[in-house]
Amino acid sequence: MKRPPMLMHLKIQGEDRGFGLWLPLFLLLPLALVVFIVLSPLILIAVIVLWPSGWGKRALLILGAACEALCSMRGLRVDVRSGYQCIYISVV
Amino acid sequence: MTENKKKILEMLAQNKISTDDAYHLLNVIESGESGRESTSNAETTVKEKAKYLRVTVLPDSENEHSGNVDRVNVRVPMSLIRAGIKLTSLIPPEARDKVNGALREKGIDFDVRNLKPEDIEELIEALSDLEVDVVSSKGEKVKVFVE
Repeated sequence: MKRPPMLMHLKIQGEDRGFGLWLPLFLLLPLALVVFIVLSPLILIAVIVLWPSGWGKRALLILGAACEALCSMRGLRVDVRSGYQCIYISVV
Repeated sequence: MTENKKKILEMLAQNKISTDDAYHLLNVIESGESGRESTSNAETTVKEKAKYLRVTVLPDSENEHSGNVDRVNVRVPMSLIRAGIKLTSLIPPEARDKVNGALREKGIDFDVRNLKPEDIEELIEALSDLEVDVVSSKGEKVKVFVE
């Protein structure tokens, strides 16, 4: 299984001001996991209720695919500069 | 059977070479072929190692040092593309029609229903051979490649 990303570096630079941010995903992910565990009974009920319509299975698959997409973000880098403006996103 | 092997067998049939010579020559040809196979296998391994899709837009070398230039440098992991395609296959049918309609409005005649998870590996493999290199009239260099 792929390891989830640990850090996200976000930098936005405008004409006159800008800011940079290091997001510690390794701290945020355990929090998200706790929230998921707390909400899991509700998710389970929703999945069971929606199962006959086909949305329950789809929701489960989307949940799995979204986790996979999150774990695959490691190495993503977007660097767009126009004049003195800049947007930089890097996932480590 | 290769052309060379046929020639050797013809020479043997015409008694131009001995059985031992033919055996020796066939062995030499076979070892050469297996060498080529291992080379092509190595090339495939290199292709499989493609990890990122890169998109770069670099300014003209004359304007490079002036401040007012546009630059783009995007690196997308192949695994993210794979996961994205999987997510696409989970789009509800009603939403797919809307996506197709929006794409058609932009002049892209593509049906997202054709993106299936079983085609992902083939698509990623095809991307490995992709290389786009465009130079605009302003001298900007646009490159799309896999590394």
